[in-house]
Amino acid sequence: MNDSSFTPDPLLDPLFARAREQRPDTARAEYAFETRLLARLSQRPEGARVGALAWRLLPFFAAVVLVLGVCQVEASHDSQEAEQAAALQNPEAVDLFSSLE
Amino acid sequence: MAAAESSDEQLVAAALGGDSGAFGELAARHKTRVFGLVSRFAGNAADLEDICQDVFIQAYFNLRQFRRESPFEHWILRIATYKCYDYLRRRKRERATVTSVDVLLEGGYQPAAPLPRTPHPELERLYDAIGKLTPKERLVITLLELEDRSLQEVSRLTGWSVGNVKVRAFRARASLHKLLLPLT
Repeated sequence: MNDSSFTPDPLLDPLFARAREQRPDTARAEYAFETRLLARLSQRPEGARVGALAWRLLPFFAAVVLVLGVCQVEASHDSQEAEQAAALQNPEAVDLFSSLE
Repeated sequence: MAAAESSDEQLVAAALGGDSGAFGELAARHKTRVFGLVSRFAGNAADLEDICQDVFIQAYFNLRQFRRESPFEHWILRIATYKCYDYLRRRKRERATVTSVDVLLEGGYQPAAPLPRTPHPELERLYDAIGKLTPKERLVITLLELEDRSLQEVSRLTGWSVGNVKVRAFRARASLHKLLLPLT
């Protein structure tokens, strides 16, 4: 190990030294790796791209939902006001509704 | 692009500009270091290939996040370290779902060993014991003792403080000592 921060261990240290000497041979596994990698990158599924785009557009969709929600609340508020105004102008209609209940 | 003359930074800039060949050149340059590190953790050749591909794919899609203050190699090895840690945790979870009867039938737990190497009974026991450590301990002990990296390097690769790395390494060494003691 590069640091001598630990107490020497006569059991472990020789084993570590031997393990360091025996580096795994990855030459065969590495062969044409970049070709396989680029092939995989070019074959990235369309679904993943659509998914990534959907995530990027998430704030936009959230804003649209918020605006629509605000508009709906405003619209229902306006219609309630209109109903109240109509009821005040035509008391018989109010009686009719209350009799129906 | 004249890849042989280009620096890593130039290749990164070219890859960001849409030149996938430049990224291929980056992969060719750094694959040996990445394979060397990942092979210390991967259980078999298929896992090794998968993890290494995941490392470079993550690098490709996060290339804009690469800070040019440090070399590209440091950045790619940090990604590789995280991927190895994820792999160790995933394997641990998978093993946790195996029943004790299954383990008995398999003849005991076989840890993820590096690629085929000259068999040596003492080393087999060491790898066996390392495989029984927690993922964090295994990561630290492998980087420090097998990959021969300094505490500062391990700290940079893992994102843990030097003190934290030291504590984990100390515990890992103590656990390994206990695991190997009855066998010697």
